[in-house]
Amino acid sequence: MTTGAGVDFGRRVLTVRRRRFALRLEWRSVIVCAVLAVALACLAVLALMTGSYQLSPGQVISALTGGETGLVHDIVVEWRLPRVTAAVVFGAALGVSGAVFQSLLRNPLADPGLIGFAEGSYTGALIVILAVNGTYWQLVGGALLGGMATAVAVYVLAYRRGVQGFRLIIVGIGVSAMLHSLNTWMILKAELEQAMSAAAWNAGSLNGVSWDQVAIGGACIAVLLLLAARLGRPMRQMELGDDAAASQGVRVSATRLWLIVVGVALTATVTAASGPIAFISLVAPQIARRLARTAGITLAPAAFVGALLCLAADYLAQHVAPTTLPVGIITVMLGGGYLGWLLFIEARKRL
Amino acid sequence: MTMNPLRRRGVALAATLLSATFVLTACGDDGEDSESAAAKTSTTAPVAPKTRTVKADNGSIEIPGDPQRVATIGNTTLPFLDVGGEPIGLTAESDSTVALLPEDQQARYAAATNLAPSADEVDMEKLASLKPDLILAQIPDAEFEKIEEQLQAIAPTVFWGLDTEWKPFADAIAEASNTTDALSAQKTGFADKIAKLQETYRETIDGTSFVDISRWESSDPGTFAIADIGCSEIARDEVGMDFPEAAEGEDPLAYTALPFEQLGDLSKYDVITYPVDAEGQPTEPFAAVVETNTWKALPAVKAGRALGVFCPGNNSYGPVLQYLDSLDRALASLPAEE
Amino acid sequence: MTVPGRRSRLLGLVLALLVLLALLVLSVMIGSTAIAPSVVWDALVHPSSDIDQFSIRDFRLPRTIVGLVVGMALGVSGALIQALTRNLLADPGILGVHAGASFAVTVAVGVLGVRDPQGYMWFAFAGALVVTLMVLALGSTRQGSSAVVVVLAGVCVAAVLGGAREALQLTDPDAFDAMRSWNAGSIVARPLDVVWPILPFFAVALVLSFAVAGPLNAMALGDDLAVAQGVHLGRTRVLAIIALTLLAGGATAIAGPIVLVGLMVPHVARWIVGPHQRWIFAYSALLGPSLLLASDILGRVVMHPGEIPVGIVTAFVGAPVLIALARRNKASGL
Repeated sequence: MTTGAGVDFGRRVLTVRRRRFALRLEWRSVIVCAVLAVALACLAVLALMTGSYQLSPGQVISALTGGETGLVHDIVVEWRLPRVTAAVVFGAALGVSGAVFQSLLRNPLADPGLIGFAEGSYTGALIVILAVNGTYWQLVGGALLGGMATAVAVYVLAYRRGVQGFRLIIVGIGVSAMLHSLNTWMILKAELEQAMSAAAWNAGSLNGVSWDQVAIGGACIAVLLLLAARLGRPMRQMELGDDAAASQGVRVSATRLWLIVVGVALTATVTAASGPIAFISLVAPQIARRLARTAGITLAPAAFVGALLCLAADYLAQHVAPTTLPVGIITVMLGGGYLGWLLFIEARKRL
Repeated sequence: MTMNPLRRRGVALAATLLSATFVLTACGDDGEDSESAAAKTSTTAPVAPKTRTVKADNGSIEIPGDPQRVATIGNTTLPFLDVGGEPIGLTAESDSTVALLPEDQQARYAAATNLAPSADEVDMEKLASLKPDLILAQIPDAEFEKIEEQLQAIAPTVFWGLDTEWKPFADAIAEASNTTDALSAQKTGFADKIAKLQETYRETIDGTSFVDISRWESSDPGTFAIADIGCSEIARDEVGMDFPEAAEGEDPLAYTALPFEQLGDLSKYDVITYPVDAEGQPTEPFAAVVETNTWKALPAVKAGRALGVFCPGNNSYGPVLQYLDSLDRALASLPAEE
Repeated sequence: MTVPGRRSRLLGLVLALLVLLALLVLSVMIGSTAIAPSVVWDALVHPSSDIDQFSIRDFRLPRTIVGLVVGMALGVSGALIQALTRNLLADPGILGVHAGASFAVTVAVGVLGVRDPQGYMWFAFAGALVVTLMVLALGSTRQGSSAVVVVLAGVCVAAVLGGAREALQLTDPDAFDAMRSWNAGSIVARPLDVVWPILPFFAVALVLSFAVAGPLNAMALGDDLAVAQGVHLGRTRVLAIIALTLLAGGATAIAGPIVLVGLMVPHVARWIVGPHQRWIFAYSALLGPSLLLASDILGRVVMHPGEIPVGIVTAFVGAPVLIALARRNKASGL
């Protein structure tokens, strides 16, 4: 991305140009968010209308307005609607979570997976599924506990007079690799049905999601998103460097810890409700940054891109694949493919 | 850099939208109780004139007297096929498992609608559109809990946990699906077969130490296991053959993958049984054991006292009977003691 | 950081060689059954058809040789990728080697119905080669490959292939079942006649690695400086990529995905000898197999009478070392 040829301007002019440039970018952000919201709404309607149980648009609308009872009501209001809502809310949460981490670590590859969250929650879930054959809520608890414990362990192990991005990443890689091996080992030793069921959980799926899960998850996510919005400003300041941020009165250490907590908690909520839906947190901020053409990572566009990506992926997972697939498989392929394509285009541009 | 008003507005917009979603969510939640109550009455309304109540791991379930449209989820598919059931919808079994089924069961398997590539990701809407009158399920507890409400909204659902023993499981499936006649025929066949084996091979059973070893598709390379669960468990517990058994409270021996080095330790057993396919050839995973020099040097192998036995499954009477037939043939081929 | 002189580096290299030799001997001596040293000696020198002798010749000796070869390939390939991308976090795994190999094996198992683990090997090799080249092509620009872009390309390709692989596995229980043990990474039960054909590739790759070590050293200081010193950038990169792909691909083809060895060994080597590629390569070639064999021996004894596949153990041995290195004040900077 070229930032214009105006290198030879004097300092003052450059500043003005930058400010005007920045202003235009913000308009773009708002427009992008609006367009994404419209696309999201259209897709949501499409998802409500389609399913393997044949319903006419009239039936769907009458079910939504309370005019149907029995199975038709259940399918639209109890099955399709929570699923669509979950895709939107969870997708947004993942987008923001990734944006927070990428900004925090100043690394386009950062997401909560880096500090071992995904592997840790898989370990927790595996123990519940394989060793305990636990209940659904035990599974949720196990995944949360595993993910959180891992994140804390990585943070503590990387702590040495403060936490430095590079060290956090290395420690995260080490701990993740260890847990990954442990998980592979548990899968290897399990009965086939249970191993496959655990692997399906790990792929991340919105199948069978209910209002209970959406309500509880949504409440947590709403609180966390408000918190993230408040942290947005110090976060942008810290992107310029710890010293620069500190000189503007940002409490760097505390803010960093809070950002990590919010980022991990967002991912944790989604993981607990639906298993780890991969790659949205990695890709959404990147796509958002390119669409909105902002210099750094911004939260709102990332949330919208995350939601759209998750909803689209879930639609494809249900209706396009020959058999229904976990949504996480589609997000990985879609997100990875899109990011790869962007990379390819940018590499060609640079030639 | 300070946050400019427009971005703040963007964040506010996002927050508003998300809280709107949340409010929507909460509304949906409020509506749930009355609606699901309505759903319950609507599902119990159109059942056959005669209903019965069966007890299962998800409580007492009221089901049709003679269910006609049964859908099977997870491990219930094979036992249901085995008692002559014709499922209208099922979750897929692996190709290798289906290949081991008798032809008529394969045909009934193929005729059913595939609801999911495995027991996970059941396509609920597809299941609903089949209009089943009974759903049978055996899947991990956590997974069932998640989809229980949806399943019950479609049809009465009977659920068993994964730790159900195979005999009570066969009984329960037959009871729920009203196929007890077919099952009692199988049970008679089973009892006769056990009695015949015990009578014919009394001396062998009393004076011979057996060991059943196996290797599965998922086994670590270069390892085998002493199979004390599965088919040989039936030979041990029902026929009374002397197969090794894990100590009380310990994991089954089969959970430990033993390196090929330890094949030599099998010298202490009189007879070794190992898995073969329907044609009598060692199963593909087990072929790796047969090829080793250590296996070939084992006294039991040299003396022709290593017996290939066919075990197509151990979760219902049909495949167990096939196993016992195969065991019968194998024992008949056992050379006399030197 | 004080950089040790040539003499002490050479001494260290001899020491590393001795450690490796000791581990080779231990690997033949130690196993899940107790076999007397005299029997081990006889098995190698006076072969007979004793059952214990078979254990040595058929099981312990081949896994030791495979461990040596695979460890060397992993160590050197890690050193190569880190030098090439100037990225200390680079691991052959991030180039999509594992993703390519395991995708190819899943296709072989799930779609083509291959059931013979020895048949997996060539699929894995081909998959690893194709995908690594794809990642490097995707991540390269005229200015050469920027580390971040290559890594990003690796993540993308791995994600897409990983998703496709998972879709195949979750819809095909047979494939899932067969892939479970491959995913762990193991050096057991790889018949040597299957491994031999890969060795010429390794030999070529090792020679290439040491040939490009000097130029890579110069490139560490920046491309311009390297050109000024007469280094041919394009040629060096292409040769390094060929060597890297063959080593990492071959190792994964033989043993499955083994994590952290390729990442960690060059770190340790750099910590001992400082930023000198030729020395780092030499140390990596000795430390790689040492780590792998030590892990394998550990895996044989800790769960007796069972065993743990080496790929699982390397992660548990390697991660603490990596974390300890990261916590040092100067985390092995270039």
